[in-house]
Amino acid sequence: MGGLVLGFLQSLDYMPLIGKNDFSLDAYVAIFNDRVFWASLWLSLRIAFISTAISIVLAVGTALLIYHTERGRRVTTFIYQFNLPIPHIVGAVAMLFLLAQGGLLSRIAFALGLTDSPGDFPAMTNDRGAVGIIAEYVWKETIFIGVVVLAALARGVGDYEDLARTLGAGRWKRFWHVILPLITPAIVSTSVIVFAFGFGAFEVPFLLGQPFPSALPVLAYNAFTDVDLNARSQAMAISMVIAVITAVAVLAYTWLSRRYVRSES
Amino acid sequence: MSVTVELVELTKIYKGTTDPSVDGISMTIEKGQLVAMLGPSGCGKTTTMKMLAGLLDPTAGDVRFDGESVIDIPAEKRQVAMVFQKPLLFPHMSIGDNVAFGLRMRGVDKKTRKKRVSEMMELVRLPGMEERRPGQLSGGQEQRISLARALITEPEILLLDEPLSQLDANLRIEMRDLIRQIQAELGITSVFVTHDQEEAVMLADRIALMLAGRIQQDGLPQDFYEQPATQAVARFFGTKNFVPGTVSGMSFESVLGTLQLGHEHPAGEGLLVIRQEAIEIGPGENSFEATVQRTMYLGTHVRVWATAGDVELQFTVPPGVRHEGEQTITLRLPMAQTWVIPVEDRIL
Amino acid sequence: MSDEQNVTGGQRNITGETGVMPPDTRLDVEDPPEAIPGPKAKRHIGRYVLVVLMCFLLLLPFVPLIFWSISHRWFFPTIIPDELSDRAWSYILSDRSGVVEGLLNSLVIAILVAVLAAAIGLSGGRALGLYRFRGKRIVELVLLAPVIVPAIAVSMGIQVMFIRYGLADTIPGVVLVHLIPTIPYVVLVLGAVFANYDTSYEEQARVLGANPLRVFLHVTFPAVLPGLIVAAFFAFLISWSEYIMTLLIGGGIVVTLPLLLFDFVGSDPSVAAALSLFFIAPAIVLMVLTSRYLSGDQSAVGGIGRA
Repeated sequence: MGGLVLGFLQSLDYMPLIGKNDFSLDAYVAIFNDRVFWASLWLSLRIAFISTAISIVLAVGTALLIYHTERGRRVTTFIYQFNLPIPHIVGAVAMLFLLAQGGLLSRIAFALGLTDSPGDFPAMTNDRGAVGIIAEYVWKETIFIGVVVLAALARGVGDYEDLARTLGAGRWKRFWHVILPLITPAIVSTSVIVFAFGFGAFEVPFLLGQPFPSALPVLAYNAFTDVDLNARSQAMAISMVIAVITAVAVLAYTWLSRRYVRSES
Repeated sequence: MSVTVELVELTKIYKGTTDPSVDGISMTIEKGQLVAMLGPSGCGKTTTMKMLAGLLDPTAGDVRFDGESVIDIPAEKRQVAMVFQKPLLFPHMSIGDNVAFGLRMRGVDKKTRKKRVSEMMELVRLPGMEERRPGQLSGGQEQRISLARALITEPEILLLDEPLSQLDANLRIEMRDLIRQIQAELGITSVFVTHDQEEAVMLADRIALMLAGRIQQDGLPQDFYEQPATQAVARFFGTKNFVPGTVSGMSFESVLGTLQLGHEHPAGEGLLVIRQEAIEIGPGENSFEATVQRTMYLGTHVRVWATAGDVELQFTVPPGVRHEGEQTITLRLPMAQTWVIPVEDRIL
Repeated sequence: MSDEQNVTGGQRNITGETGVMPPDTRLDVEDPPEAIPGPKAKRHIGRYVLVVLMCFLLLLPFVPLIFWSISHRWFFPTIIPDELSDRAWSYILSDRSGVVEGLLNSLVIAILVAVLAAAIGLSGGRALGLYRFRGKRIVELVLLAPVIVPAIAVSMGIQVMFIRYGLADTIPGVVLVHLIPTIPYVVLVLGAVFANYDTSYEEQARVLGANPLRVFLHVTFPAVLPGLIVAAFFAFLISWSEYIMTLLIGGGIVVTLPLLLFDFVGSDPSVAAALSLFFIAPAIVLMVLTSRYLSGDQSAVGGIGRA
């Protein structure tokens, strides 16, 4: 927490170490007036939303799939959990090799006759659409959410499902009215973390993203390491924005989930 | 509206095991009857229930409602409602919505649902609680709601899987009465699973005792006490006295002497089954000598341990009776209370 | 064989808060719900196809990694490397690549972080799990904060202070900053463990004559050991994988494997791939070991998505 406070102070241009002893909002003014800042902010929000949404859907789907699998369950579960200890940076490297225009998928497309050259393959790394970034996040976060959902399922949903069946609920109705509400707490809590991470993490967009617009954390980093020391306070300001938005997202999620749990009927 | 249920050679072997959980059981439940499936944990009664409900597929055998096989009909289409050991009220819904669930699944409109819900809540004696949430009710109340939820769909068969085992003693008695009443009122064919033989005797029209996947005996409650089929059944119902001997004609030869039997039994070796309450003190019909070992005063009765030859007997007598030390006394066993069961190599 | 279904209840649902699971949660259910009777074979085949597809997609990213790491030449458009060689691997294992130094730094830092975080987490988790005190909710939220707030913001802010106190560009500094994201996880996991823990065992030991130290060594510690191992594993993994914090606080002077990896990505894909595989090996080994230790089975350790 101390780090945040210090960051906040520095964003107000208060840096006694180099002789600036006054507070000022110049840094904030500067970034809010900068088109680049807004472009990065929008990009980061896009990345976070899209990757979280896709991950949730895939996580629930795959968790249910595994839950209903009987044979080979151990092997399947092992493979499923496999990428949990893999750091995002390795995931990013792997995605780079897989999705780049010179990468494995592009070569397969070429071999299948779908493209004529590397350039024909859609750009998914260092691209405007941040497809590679989203792909890496989805690859990891689906498992993160999925594992927790699977645990919630294994923990007693079976009895509720049996009960619902005796009351005449078919598969879809059971999913919608019984299973989904029961796993919603697990989904909500994990997806908050996933969203926050997707918004504020540095490594993956750094490796897989374009210079412009870059994701917000990358923008902050660039400002921080800028030769011009005045950019420092702007870097801090950007960080503050990241922190605030993340906090707001968390609060919004928790508030929403409380309301949802109360009033579902 | 309710149906006859038949289980025909029903068998279930779980994947990965070779021993059957349920081993070829057959029984018939008449329309409107309340049958108790009695047995210890692990004997297969819940598995049987689930096959009845359609939640599990049998490995072999058939389940028939009114003579027609229902094996291929999935649980959601069978008109079977079930109450589980835990109330399992959906935590994300109000009580009213919980009860209405079955109707909602059938597409019944809101107005009718509301009416039926309040009817059901009246039936289980919890009127007006529709707006509450599951966490706000006691265990007993939750089970009653669970019952209401099951009954609202007007099922042909009601299954209850040890619904009272999580409640404490007083509550259990109340609930038993309620269940009995409701079942009689609605006339639904019902199967009630329990491990408590007192409960079975109290509630059921008929009892089926299951041990290790098989039905040991199937009949009226008093038969289990007075005319048990096997030693396992007798033991389950609390009998402790088994005297080996030989049947010839209408008499039984054993270390207790020659006793006259009240029923016909096949000649040859057998075990005489003596209920604790059956033995009386004093000379008379079928009397024999025994030596008192010890007594224990238990308020409403006195428990006596005595030996006759190499056989140890336990019985109960009214409180007034008292004996000191090792005394030889005369005991008698009324003819009508005698029962002989075959000797078995292996007791379950 | 038990007739009744086993429903594990009574475990404090910490999952609802951080996505971190108590150690003895199992993922495999002994008797999964049976399929609806009917056209079973068809339904099952469809499901198996999906499962296979899912596994394929999950493992696909590793393929180019492996290929690159063993290739000498691999240009477009070949799908399999043109020429195989162990150049990349022998390079990283040699002195010239700086991998050895990076490995040592990473190991030392991660182990220190794991041990320290676990130690701090023990007392914190105990307090959180066993006691009720005012403002407990707030403390829980504050603890949760580093999990949510991005590492970059924190380390940028803290850097100044670290420079001031001479911690920047040093290993101790990096260790300290790594503690920031790890302590919350450890405290929350151990909090859940302690919530299920029965202090009567300790009272029993005291009555039998054990002093506090022995009580801890012989009663408390063994009881929470599985949870402790899981928590320490998380902490290790988070530190092992950390990049931006190490970069900012370590100033490029403290070189860990993630930093090396980033350097190689642009310049030499083979080495980058080999290094990636090298880098994830300990993590995978540890995960297999800890899950075996915990339940002798494939149980999930969960919550490692941050790594």
